[in-house]
Amino acid sequence: MEQKTGVRLSVNNIYKTFYSKSDEPHLVVDNVSFKVKENEFLVILGPGNCGKTVILNMISGLMERDNGDIELDGENVTSPNPKMGMVFQKMGLMPWKTVMENVEIGPKMRGVNTKERREKAAYYINLVGLGGFEKSYPHQLSGGMKQRVGIARAYTNDPEILIMDEPFGQLDAQTRYNMQNEVARITSQEKRTIIFVTNNIEEALYLGDRVILLAECPARVKEIYNIELQRPRDMIAPMFLKLRKEISNNTDLAL
Amino acid sequence: MRKTLTDKKPITAKTIFIMVAPFLSIGLLLFIWLLASNVNTELVPTPLMVFDRLLLIFKKPIGNMNIFGHIWASIKRVFIALFLSFSIGIPFGVMIGWNKTLNAIFGTLFELIRSIPPLAWLPIVIMWFGIEELPKVIIVFIGTFMCVVINTSTGIKLVQPLFLDVGRMFNANNRQLLLEVAVPSAMPAIFAGIRNATSGGWMVVLAAEMIGASAGMGFLIIRGMEFFDVPLIMMSMVVIGIIGAILSVITDYIERWACPWNKKLELD
Amino acid sequence: MSNKNKIEVKNLTKYFDKLHVLDDVSFNVRKGEFLCVVGPTGCGKTTFLNLLTRLIPPTSGDLFIDGTPADPKVHNLAFVFQEPSAMPWLTVEKNLEFGLKIKGMPKDVIKERVERIIKLLGLEEFRNKYPHLLSVSSEQRTVVGRAFAIFPDLLLMDEPYGQMDIKMRYYLEDEVIKLWKEFDSTVVFITHNIEEAVYLAERILILSNKPATIKEEVIVDLPRPRDFTDPKFTEIRRHITEQIKWW
Repeated sequence: MEQKTGVRLSVNNIYKTFYSKSDEPHLVVDNVSFKVKENEFLVILGPGNCGKTVILNMISGLMERDNGDIELDGENVTSPNPKMGMVFQKMGLMPWKTVMENVEIGPKMRGVNTKERREKAAYYINLVGLGGFEKSYPHQLSGGMKQRVGIARAYTNDPEILIMDEPFGQLDAQTRYNMQNEVARITSQEKRTIIFVTNNIEEALYLGDRVILLAECPARVKEIYNIELQRPRDMIAPMFLKLRKEISNNTDLAL
Repeated sequence: MRKTLTDKKPITAKTIFIMVAPFLSIGLLLFIWLLASNVNTELVPTPLMVFDRLLLIFKKPIGNMNIFGHIWASIKRVFIALFLSFSIGIPFGVMIGWNKTLNAIFGTLFELIRSIPPLAWLPIVIMWFGIEELPKVIIVFIGTFMCVVINTSTGIKLVQPLFLDVGRMFNANNRQLLLEVAVPSAMPAIFAGIRNATSGGWMVVLAAEMIGASAGMGFLIIRGMEFFDVPLIMMSMVVIGIIGAILSVITDYIERWACPWNKKLELD
Repeated sequence: MSNKNKIEVKNLTKYFDKLHVLDDVSFNVRKGEFLCVVGPTGCGKTTFLNLLTRLIPPTSGDLFIDGTPADPKVHNLAFVFQEPSAMPWLTVEKNLEFGLKIKGMPKDVIKERVERIIKLLGLEEFRNKYPHLLSVSSEQRTVVGRAFAIFPDLLLMDEPYGQMDIKMRYYLEDEVIKLWKEFDSTVVFITHNIEEAVYLAERILILSNKPATIKEEVIVDLPRPRDFTDPKFTEIRRHITEQIKWW
């Protein structure tokens, strides 16, 4: 089966500086460049709070860059583009809405009719394994379940590119393993171009086709790894551990 | 280390407008004032007339005092009342915030009394204490005391259970939990009470003076009304506003100095 | 090293109304031992910890330290919570002093211990800073330092490094081992992260699902510092994962 390997997103030499209250400049993003290919699972891996979210905000058009180009399908990115869908670490579910109401919100804002958007939302709610919870409220769900709602919500909005910003950061280690499995399953069933941000090396290697390792503040690209391990991946397999060690030795310590 | 960093947007026409807007709106207000005074200079004196009135007080004092005398008269009352409020109110607030029994005894009583506006007390206070300095101080005290107690007790009640657990884990006794955990934790709330009491006290004293006094900013306003001296009224209002703003800034700085960990008020 | 049991837990059981959370848990901890407890998500590990710290009373059963019933008034208990619990109104140095001050230790003892810890943890440049200016990891290190400072009879740690990236996590785990060896403390470390347990523990207790009991005990006899790529390490990890895995 032939897969397109065209470039969807092109990030070239972007910079970002922030200012403290006393007007001291702090360079947060330093000359970052990379490309995102069609249908690839790209992981951006970086320790601590090194500017990963800033990079994401610039890619998604939520923040202006100081320098450099960002192009989505050849077009300059200046503001949020409906082709991109986002899953946040803090989930961002509206507590007064049910699961279904949260998931269907994208198409609802776009004016899609009720029947159509409910069908689509239901499909993704089932896909993420929450069938039967359509009428539940977020406070009734566990952390892992809430995050699945976030994923279903992102998918329902028909994005071509899914951006996940450390979506499992708030979850305990085991729930995280569970969610990693789920994401691997979901994204293989419904293939999209995915940009996944994390500070967890194991997670990056488990999920990614390619991993971009960032240095600590300011964020810059240290190295890009092609992960050629067979799926489903085994975190305790010797090859996996060897790669993990290699990346770990190359990672900065963000004290 | 964590620092608060902001995204510096480039200086556009919009950002310049935002910086200039406060001055523009004050200017607009002055302009409307001038227009109104053109219509009826008796009812609406011009800004210049108001300023002249300020200067006049120095040449011809009212009640043997120039403007600073009257400002001090009002402020003195506020400060005495605040001193009493803080020294009685903070310990009291701490007690009812910390001790459930005391809260049960005094809490509801307190809620009932505080719903009575300070000015509603005025007639009774005058009947009981006359119309000299004391009743005015008492009225301000009533208003500010409530505020301090509420803020203090809420601050104590809202101490995070996590920190109390840390204390208990180290085997702190009840006194230590109160003094080493609850009170320091409540400092921002206590200072919020101090801040609100100060600005509230300033407002109440003026109202109390307007009902019967021989000196003070509120007295000046009544005097202006009695003599149809509109410039005096407006001049007093402007001075009152300025003093209120200064008090606010001072309490703000005191709060930042006393609670350096309160990141909401970070001084850089 | 003495083989006497420092900590004895006998038949600890806990019901919250009808909910049976803990069932007849018994185990011992040697003086100076580093014990890890792992269990599946939702097994009641927080309840388990709260019972050990006496923050909540058990339905039945008891905890003994040095042969007498555990009592915060008599014994030194220290607990590192999952969320950072440094007092925001105290500087790093004052935070480190906090437990010692509450316990009424003499000033010179407090000073000496705090200096020792600041040196061990490399917190010199943060000494006079307030916690909100520190990174989360540095704040947690302060909290850990504060706990060790009182030379606890029992130090309980509730997954303090959960949110941090792996490299930071290993750094902090190495630091805990350093403190543990330096002060010869008895530590019970509870975590969901199986790899972390294998890295830290001399012995691991595996909890079952609710109502939680001790499913199995695993001895980890690997030299330190441990290597997560070592086949012996991964074997233990694999075994424990199989015992717990629900995902």
